Amino acid sequence: MNKFFEERKIKVETFRDIRGRNKQPNKVAIPDGLFIKCDKCNEYIFGEDLKTNNYVCHHCNFHFRINARFRINITVDEDSFTELFSGIKSTNPLDFPDYDKKIDKYQKETDESEAFICGVGKINGIDIAIGVLDSFFMMGSMGSAVGEKVTSLIEYATLHNLPLLIFSASGGARMQEGILSLMQMAKTSAAINKHHNNGLLYLSVLTHPTTGGVAASFATLADIIIAEKGALIGFAGQRVIKQAIQQDLPHQFQTAEFQIEKGFVDTLCDRINLKDLIYRMLRIHGVKKNA
Amino acid sequence: MANKVLIANRGEIAIRIIRACKELGYGTVAIYSKADKDSLHVQFADEAICVGDAPSNSSYLNINNIISAAIATGCNVIHPGYGFLSENERFAEIVEKCNLRFIGPTSEVIGKLGNKVKARMIAKSVNVPIVEGSNGTVENTNAAVQIANKIGYPILLKAVNGGGGKGISVINTESQLKKEFVRTASEAEANFGVKDLYIEKYIENPRHIEVQILADHFGNTIHLGERDCSIQKRNQKIIEESPSPFIKERLRRTLGRAAVKIAKSIGYKNAGTVEFLVDKDGNYYFIEMNTRIQVEHPITEMVTGIDIVREQIRIAYDHNLNITQDQVKINGCALECRINAENPENNFRPSPGLIKNLVLPGGHGVRIDSHIYNNYEVPPYYDSLLAKIIVHAPTRREAIRKMRVALEHLIIDGIETNIEMQYLIMHNPSFVRGTYDTSFLVKFLELVREFR
Repeated sequence: MNKFFEERKIKVETFRDIRGRNKQPNKVAIPDGLFIKCDKCNEYIFGEDLKTNNYVCHHCNFHFRINARFRINITVDEDSFTELFSGIKSTNPLDFPDYDKKIDKYQKETDESEAFICGVGKINGIDIAIGVLDSFFMMGSMGSAVGEKVTSLIEYATLHNLPLLIFSASGGARMQEGILSLMQMAKTSAAINKHHNNGLLYLSVLTHPTTGGVAASFATLADIIIAEKGALIGFAGQRVIKQAIQQDLPHQFQTAEFQIEKGFVDTLCDRINLKDLIYRMLRIHGVKKNA
Repeated sequence: MANKVLIANRGEIAIRIIRACKELGYGTVAIYSKADKDSLHVQFADEAICVGDAPSNSSYLNINNIISAAIATGCNVIHPGYGFLSENERFAEIVEKCNLRFIGPTSEVIGKLGNKVKARMIAKSVNVPIVEGSNGTVENTNAAVQIANKIGYPILLKAVNGGGGKGISVINTESQLKKEFVRTASEAEANFGVKDLYIEKYIENPRHIEVQILADHFGNTIHLGERDCSIQKRNQKIIEESPSPFIKERLRRTLGRAAVKIAKSIGYKNAGTVEFLVDKDGNYYFIEMNTRIQVEHPITEMVTGIDIVREQIRIAYDHNLNITQDQVKINGCALECRINAENPENNFRPSPGLIKNLVLPGGHGVRIDSHIYNNYEVPPYYDSLLAKIIVHAPTRREAIRKMRVALEHLIIDGIETNIEMQYLIMHNPSFVRGTYDTSFLVKFLELVREFR
């Protein structure tokens, strides 16, 4: 850089100091939450921009977690979603300490009644039954209410000859309901089987994270299993496995990319292309638009 | 026949005139000295002719060579710019006799106004107040003392043909007068060829106000408001502004009318400037009339929107003014800072040399009239003006702020300049308030010395 710019700047600054005009301006307060920091690349992204980009980082393509309601909004056609079975709610069958309080807290936080939201909607005009697990509600865990809603949705799809689309994001079975939660695995699996036997298509999308009882039941029983980019997919947690087998885990263990390589999922897709992929899958498998 | 103008000048004013000619679609011929062959006006004119060696006497003041250049290149008009031959009666006369046109009034008018004694008589004849004085040249020291005693000290001792701050002395006492008379006379002779001096009452700390005049060949004479040129060093202007922060609307009209009256009384043609001193009570005194374009003309152009150089050329080609006095409106405020190659910290010693790097300011309301460029070698032979920074804004305060930023962004690397001094003046309370007079710079420089 040419030194005369620097020299001039120093002179002007010095003069300003002499005149006492170097007051610091009042800092502008930016409202909290206006910018969101990417968990992966640490870049700051303007919140509105992040939303229009479906919560995918502009810089590193990191996929932020999204709630079930937002997932439905970006998946089905505008104004086409009708919610079903929203009245099914959890009880505390085992009198598990503080479980009621916890449910209450999550209901207030997320404005949802349970960790699974389902209903019917259209994908580019094609009618489907759609269900989404909400990882913001008790980590999308499956208790009897979630299991019942999933089963009801599958049965509804079977009854109405609708293809089924479920987005999973779950820590697994909900421990507060013990064996009752584990029983949901069998119940949902049986319902899937009936849907399948009726010759209907089931697409499962595994989003971050899909683990435990959910991964071990309906989420992986689909005709086509799609993993969203950046999703962690597995049954037990990495630490548990490491301690059990006393071995180092392979590179990228339980990532979506890893599961593709091992044949556990069929395809990998980023959020932006997901709807299009689902639509093409539906069309390829002969699902027609209802007039 | 195509219109073609010879520009008998150099530097920024030559470029200013070339631009106006080109905008009018007229041909341009530049003249230059051997020292100026790399000068910008030489590059920008359609044609350029060398008229002599580096010293002005051999080139820019060389009447024969300049006339020959005009004839040889088929020019029909000569624009003399300012300085050099611009107010030279003989030059104008020769131009006229060669059937060329001189941009300015007739040689006769130049002669009358160029002689300051005659000029004062003209003003007096149309009842425009003048500064009391000797009513003619003063023969010797004794006569000078007599007149001085009559009008009272302090007095000014001035060369009859003087200008540019040379051949002029302020005298406070009789003993000083006796000492200075001979010295000033010889300075006058050295600079202007004539040693005649005259005396006038010295008005303490007046403001220097001048009124721009335009007159065509059809009897239309208008004025374009005033310029305040009170910021001077040794009677050389360094900052000018229009309108003056000191002049009220009523005085503005009075000065305008007085200027037009003087111009009309002698059949003045083309652009001219009537200079007044205005004291703190608003009394005004005619001092002289400049029969040429002024260095500081751009500020008047900015506030009136009238291209004075263009009008000069149009008038020379017998076009009439298409503006009436009623249509002249003063909009906002314009300031001009002269950027000179000189060192204000070393008694304004000239600083010619190579410009290694040049960065010019810009933006809305910023105008730069200059002839310098990167790697341009400023020759030591001519005046030290490098550039004129002109700003125009709705109010005076905004114009000052604009000028500060413009000066901050102006970088001329390689030679010493007065940019910093100008920047400091733009922050001086007296300047910012607009309460300064012609003694401003002396006081300002003392202030700078104190704070060093």
